Amino acid sequence: MLKIENLKAEIEGKAILNGLDLEVKPGEVHAIMGPNGSGKSTLASVLAGRELFEVTDGSVDFQGKDLLDMDADERACEGLFLGFQYPVEIPGVSNLYLLRAAVNARRKYRGEDEIDAMEFMQHVKDKAGVVGMDMDMIKRGVNEGFSGGEKKRNEIMQMLVLEPTLSILDETDSGLDIDALKIVAEGINSMRSADRSTVLVTHYKRLLEHVQPDHVHVLAKGRILKSGGMELADALEAEGYSGITDEAAA
Amino acid sequence: MTQPSPHIDHYLAEFARLERSLAGAAQDSVARERHARLKNFAKTGFPATQQEAWKYTDLRALEKRRFEGSEEAPTVGEKALDALLPANLDAHRFVLVDGHFESSLSRLESLPDGVTLRSVAQALEDGDETVTEWLSSRDDEATGAFGEMNRAFVSDGLFLQIDAGTTLDRPLLLVHYSSGRNHEFMQHCRHLLRLGDNAGATVIEQYCGDGEEDHLSNTITDVQLSSGARLHRYRLQEESRACYHVSALLAEQARDSVLINHSADLGGRLSRVDTRSHLHGNGATAEFYGVYAPDKRQHMDNHTEIDHDCEHGVSREAFRGLASGRGRGVFNGRILIRRDAQKTDSELSSDALLLSPRAEIDAKPELEIYADDVKAAHGSTVGQLDEDAIFYLRSRGIDDDGARAMLVASFADELLGQWAPEALQQHVRRALLTRLPDGARYADFA
Ligand SMILES: Nc1ncnc2c1ncn2[C@@H]1O[C@H](COP(=O)(O)OP(=O)(O)O)[C@@H](O)[C@H]1O
Ligand SMILES: [Mg+2]
Repeated sequence: MLKIENLKAEIEGKAILNGLDLEVKPGEVHAIMGPNGSGKSTLASVLAGRELFEVTDGSVDFQGKDLLDMDADERACEGLFLGFQYPVEIPGVSNLYLLRAAVNARRKYRGEDEIDAMEFMQHVKDKAGVVGMDMDMIKRGVNEGFSGGEKKRNEIMQMLVLEPTLSILDETDSGLDIDALKIVAEGINSMRSADRSTVLVTHYKRLLEHVQPDHVHVLAKGRILKSGGMELADALEAEGYSGITDEAAA
Repeated sequence: MTQPSPHIDHYLAEFARLERSLAGAAQDSVARERHARLKNFAKTGFPATQQEAWKYTDLRALEKRRFEGSEEAPTVGEKALDALLPANLDAHRFVLVDGHFESSLSRLESLPDGVTLRSVAQALEDGDETVTEWLSSRDDEATGAFGEMNRAFVSDGLFLQIDAGTTLDRPLLLVHYSSGRNHEFMQHCRHLLRLGDNAGATVIEQYCGDGEEDHLSNTITDVQLSSGARLHRYRLQEESRACYHVSALLAEQARDSVLINHSADLGGRLSRVDTRSHLHGNGATAEFYGVYAPDKRQHMDNHTEIDHDCEHGVSREAFRGLASGRGRGVFNGRILIRRDAQKTDSELSSDALLLSPRAEIDAKPELEIYADDVKAAHGSTVGQLDEDAIFYLRSRGIDDDGARAMLVASFADELLGQWAPEALQQHVRRALLTRLPDGARYADFA
């Protein structure tokens, strides 16, 4: 599904990713944990195609294609989805319009006809129901006036509508109360299948208790310093990151 | 000081050539007025950038042209015209071709009782006293050289009177079609929209053309609203790129009258628009909204003035500029609140988006307040498209052109979304979006 090798990226001459390796196989859920400022969001942005960051070395293979060679919108049409840590508010463009444009962009990319309006509405209604969003919210501007939790639920709703093969969810669990966390976890779980994969960036074990990951990684100083299973998340919750980062430095 | 100037000489000669064929030539009062106005024009010629109101709008290229008037309209096919008008718009239609009323292209059957609608030229031929009197009146001196030129050369226009208590049942589409077939051609139209007490109407002035020859289109719309009258007026400027477009709205508003004016400037090489209202009755409301979108080398200048001359007046004004290429936009919004205009409530905002590094917009809200018990707010922003928003949209699969088109559409839609009826709104949105790369695909935006 996704194979990252020796990925290096910088912004304004400042190195953020320093030779990162990661492989995600079809059907797997990976969790990436790590201290603030370690480069988790940068990794997510680089994978999604944000041009602000400059990739200086390494390669990323996505389903047999060179991911780094594609524009952000092509990557999305190829099946990649980024759930933003800080979803952007776009007043004046409705969630509904954005979704329809996004669905049709994918269809155009695959050489298919535009989606039938009725079919589309039903599809959106179904998915909005999963995350507890009503149609009033869907018709509002993208994230316009949404609370932090509503924005995160909207990200999950978009993911459900767009049905990506690889979802990278950047701290989608931050700032959620317990009920919202469960809703988000259900959304993620409903997408799990043998041919879809998920990368969860998170600070907390909480989400991982609801969405059992196959692998847990620690990202620090722009690299994956340690990988393991759920027990790694337990250890991190108990002891923090310093043990691991010190260990790696030694 | 009168400086002999070649362009002034040209227009004096042009007037002499046309004089006997101009509408109302047989009526002394009208002819006298034309002469007086021509003299005023000849005193100054076109304005120069030294004048504060023309600071950013350089007319030297226009001054080099030798525009000529025409005595009659060329023939225009109905199909060619229809292609330019809003589709599916249910409206009465008054069509001017190169400044001359064209009845065969117009649709004026079934006007309600209490509505008088005439071609200005015809009314003058018939010696219509109201129209003669209006065109001979001297109380409107304040529109500068183009205004004087218009009053000297005016060929035709719309005279619309709606009697007290009457509402025009459907919008009236007032089409100004420029054939652009004759080199350096000019047209001067003048309209009067007069609404009696509590009368109501929607008038859409559309300016369009498809010719490639340089031409000048110079129009004045006079509006007189009696007590409680309500006018929705739209100005849809889609001139050809060869057009120098000058237009003015001069409104007088009595007690409790409402004027809602929407404009969109999309076409033309250079446009200068003056939109003014004088609120002389208590409780009158003026709302001016405008979108202007200069691209390539277009220059678009909007000057507005709302003159609060009475108590409890309300003004709302919002202009949005979108400049791309080497487009240049100018907005000057003046709100004058006179000493006796207590309890005035006024809001003015100007927002501008620069879509390319070489685009430019100069926007200036100008509040002049002499009354002490008023509410007046104004704000002005200039910015660029939000790159975070563009990336967000692209991460959902929408390409760069699409993301930009959507953001531009949403910026303009804040104002265009208020256009009614729906067919008109769709037309103006599409007209704006089709100018963007791949924008037409997003014309179903709202
Ligand atoms: N747009 C940016 N401009 C400059 N520095 C940035 C930018 N985005 C991130 N960084 C820097 O990159 C580093 C990693 O940030 P980030 O990837 O957001 O970390 P994390 O998501 O792990 O908290 C930080 O030092 C941050 O300051
Ligand atoms: Mg982050």
